[in-house]
Amino acid sequence: MPEATTVVTPARFEQGLSYADFLADAKVNRDKFEKFYNEPALTDDDIAFFKKVTALPGGPAKILALAEDWCGDVYRELPTVVRIAEATGAELRVFRRDENPDIMDEYLLNGKSRAIPVFVFYTKDHRHIAHFLERSAGAHKELAAAIAESSAKLGLPAGTTYATVPEASRSAFVQELIAKITPRFGAWRKEAIREMRTLLSTALNTPDHA
Amino acid sequence: MSQNPVKAVPIVYTIRGCDACVKLLQKWDAEGVTYDERRVELSQDTLDQARRFGSLVPIVVWPDGTVQQGFGDSLGCFI
Repeated sequence: MPEATTVVTPARFEQGLSYADFLADAKVNRDKFEKFYNEPALTDDDIAFFKKVTALPGGPAKILALAEDWCGDVYRELPTVVRIAEATGAELRVFRRDENPDIMDEYLLNGKSRAIPVFVFYTKDHRHIAHFLERSAGAHKELAAAIAESSAKLGLPAGTTYATVPEASRSAFVQELIAKITPRFGAWRKEAIREMRTLLSTALNTPDHA
Repeated sequence: MSQNPVKAVPIVYTIRGCDACVKLLQKWDAEGVTYDERRVELSQDTLDQARRFGSLVPIVVWPDGTVQQGFGDSLGCFI
């Protein structure tokens, strides 16, 4: 998003937490953050790609993360971005979503949802390059397919969405849906990396390879 | 001597930053539903308790043991 009108000025960016401080301040899920940090989803090729784009003039030198420690999507994806920052030397600053609603408002999913994590890549001189919201398009597609499959399994009408599941079937529907998507979380981490690569290579007009 | 029995109420595991949780509590408050809210973002113990029942807040545990996850038109938050 945001260029001239963003609330994230260079000075504001510097006010963000380091990952170490974010983790030290976390009330829950420290074990999850550590688990996903210690099980990196990045391949050597991914690392080489992120190093390559970081070295470009106008490449990503700063990364903003909007996060909360209670969120499953955050503890699954933020450690990947921590690894990217460590490998490339990019400066990572973490902002708690609920303490920074003005930043969140600039990155609402579909213009309305305060979905996290949000990762924003900036140049060294703080120009916005690209941003990633919540989950990859591939993960959203899988989620939509899982909703359709769960609906069909329960004999609900075709076209049923999460919002239109009858109340009597909701509990079974949610259990079915969770059982379908939970095993896919590892693949979703890979999809998130792929999407961040695509976002950066497109914005920087450089091939998506190392 | 008689004692008033303690009325069983639903336990609801929430995150206050979760829109679906907020909507559920607003609905219950409007309807006068009494509930025992346990905020999972405030302690690991409470989060671990909630995970015994599900992975998507709000998680409601009714007095008869029935468990419901999520609320309204959005998925809720994975914990």
